[in-house]
Amino acid sequence: MGEQALQSVRSHRKSDNRSRRRRFVIGVVLALLMILVAVLSGCQSRYEALDLSMYQYRDTKNLVKFVYDASRILSEEGLTSLAYFRDNRARFETPDYYLYIYDTTGTNFYHAGMEEMEGKNVWDVTDKNGKRIFPLIVEALEDANNPHAWVHYSWWEPGRFYPVPKSSCHFKVATPDGEELIVGGGINFPHEEKEFIRIVVDDAAELIERVGPDALVDIADPVSEYNYRDVRVFVFRQDGEMLISPAINSTFSQTNLLECVDEVGQKPFAQALEELESADSVWEMFMAKGPYQRRLIRKCLYIREATLVDEQVYVAAITDLPEPPY
Amino acid sequence: MARAVEDRGYSVNQVPPAAHLLVSSIQHVLLMVTSLVIPILFASQVSGSPEFAASLIAFSMLAAGLGSVIQSVGLPFIGSGYLCPNVCGPSYFSLSLSAAWVGGLPLMRGMVIVAGLVEMAIAPIIERLRKVFPTFIVGLVVAMVGVSILAPSITSFFGLAFREDAIRAPDMLVGLFSLMVMVLANLWGRRFAKMYCLLIGILSGWILAAILIPEFRHDLVAVKDAPILALPAMGAAFRGITFDLKMVVPFVVIAISGSLKSFGNLLAAQSVSEPALEETDFAPIRKGLLADGFSTVLAGLLGGMAVDTSSSNVGLAGATRVLSRWISVGAGVIFVILAFFPRLISILSMMPKPVMGASLIFAGSFMVSTGLRQMFSEPWGSRKTFVVGIAFFFGLSTAFLPSLYARAPHFVQTLFTDPLPTATIVAVVLNQVFNLDILFGRLRRKQK
Repeated sequence: MGEQALQSVRSHRKSDNRSRRRRFVIGVVLALLMILVAVLSGCQSRYEALDLSMYQYRDTKNLVKFVYDASRILSEEGLTSLAYFRDNRARFETPDYYLYIYDTTGTNFYHAGMEEMEGKNVWDVTDKNGKRIFPLIVEALEDANNPHAWVHYSWWEPGRFYPVPKSSCHFKVATPDGEELIVGGGINFPHEEKEFIRIVVDDAAELIERVGPDALVDIADPVSEYNYRDVRVFVFRQDGEMLISPAINSTFSQTNLLECVDEVGQKPFAQALEELESADSVWEMFMAKGPYQRRLIRKCLYIREATLVDEQVYVAAITDLPEPPY
Repeated sequence: MARAVEDRGYSVNQVPPAAHLLVSSIQHVLLMVTSLVIPILFASQVSGSPEFAASLIAFSMLAAGLGSVIQSVGLPFIGSGYLCPNVCGPSYFSLSLSAAWVGGLPLMRGMVIVAGLVEMAIAPIIERLRKVFPTFIVGLVVAMVGVSILAPSITSFFGLAFREDAIRAPDMLVGLFSLMVMVLANLWGRRFAKMYCLLIGILSGWILAAILIPEFRHDLVAVKDAPILALPAMGAAFRGITFDLKMVVPFVVIAISGSLKSFGNLLAAQSVSEPALEETDFAPIRKGLLADGFSTVLAGLLGGMAVDTSSSNVGLAGATRVLSRWISVGAGVIFVILAFFPRLISILSMMPKPVMGASLIFAGSFMVSTGLRQMFSEPWGSRKTFVVGIAFFFGLSTAFLPSLYARAPHFVQTLFTDPLPTATIVAVVLNQVFNLDILFGRLRRKQK
């Protein structure tokens, strides 16, 4: 009986010790995790200077970071870093995006996915729609409205034979060797970011104020920066009369935009103009039919005011909005 | 003795000690919080201001919290008396959005009230349909309840914010770690670890996310701007209740679908809470559906989003064997209190998506296996094979091929919406059709 009691005491003590040890280990692990969190919270990210808050998709943010990283290598190490880029092509060409480097005249120094382009000048090269891509890149780099110099065009993937829609961002780099280079990265089948239409509409509004009626010809030109994929910058008067149609390359058939309704009967243009009384620009959501599935999807309209000679006009574009994951 | 109780869990009518009641309720609240993504998403889709979003969340929480209390507290004519709390219902999301686009929040409120009334009207009918829900179909419905949370759980597990966006490796790691902690604590843990496996998994996953992904740390810092205590503001958007005849039919259809989902949840809650029952007891199911409908009406009146019974909370209760309905009451009370603490709501709603996904997978896997077990618990035959098999094919097709039904004739679209209601309707109809020979045989024998 005494032996049994002793065994029971021993087993209790053993179990107490085990539980104390377990609690100690859990406590230490938790404390270490807390310290790690505290240390990491104080660490500065290398992207601290990079404002990505205007983008909604990770793919877009990742591309800007990808190109930014390459631009830092290039600006620190200069032309010698080209050897590093060439030796590590696989790192700079992922299934989603790829890196390239040009000088300001359009001569290719490096292309992660298309080695054969290196040494060639692409200043006059156009995409399948006739868009001159390189001059657009140079313009975008000078554009204060376009902080990451986005350009949208059509190209192809190495080894493929069909056109692929692309969006590319760029940074201008002054190397220690005194060279001025353009480093850029493209994404295949890009997401439609709201920021992309904000840039083209703001640019178009500025052009109208600077150039006057001639600007309308440039804006309506299908190969200008103001038209890409399904996006089209359009212009209309205060009474809803179209100067550039949102749908076709003509205004022969006038529809009063202020009277236009979306799929649920709302008048997005009329509503936006009301809101514009107290703002310079507005985002207006509306419902449209989605392609193929014919279910309703959300789209948005970005509108801003501009002065065309003495007349108040509205410059706008339409884009898709991100859909919930399920 | 206390240890034995802790190892066994708590039965449906048992009142756990205060500390256990509180921690278990918090564990359930953390799972309920995952549904707050619905009003957050809703506010973003209607371009609502932060104040609008805050009020919508608060009103939805009030409705869900009160609904949970009514569902579980054990009132005489309403409420199932099972651990089956209310959360914002995902099935109502897209239709509520359409109503808000057409007529703003007043129309959404009006139509949600209509849907709630339809659910309440369906409740007594369900009891009369006991013959069309034999055990194997009940099992199928319970399994489909688990399947119906597949999309939100997997997309959250991979940390996806928008359709077709990139998936980050750290998100996958956080989700996997969180899920493994929950499962292993449940399998290998004892006492507290087993009982609070979800809580432990959520907290450890959250810490890992804060270490690996700076975004989550930044989000938490941003919370400081939210007020600690505030009453939900009845802004201009929340004033008025309107109705639209054109929207009645889609809302009635979704209310029937929502009732079937709640029916499945309540059946699952009964299966885990009263395993000794040989036949489904339809009285608590009817009272539960009535409570669910009433909570939806309440949500419309308050200005929140439609609420629904929570599959994942029933799954959690089954997995931990902590089945006390008082925990559901506790969780409901905490949800109501939290509605007045915007800063706390902000912190909780910043739970990393992969951690949310892991919680939903953890709870959903229990629902799927409970349903399958129940389904195969009785002798099997060719009739059942075809009823279940065909119902599975058509039910799951709504998840695999949603675009197919978007182009189908309107009446097909209304029936084929989601795996749970579709599989239930197909199974019930086929079971009646495939047994017509037996029915005729009986009739003939009677005539003789």
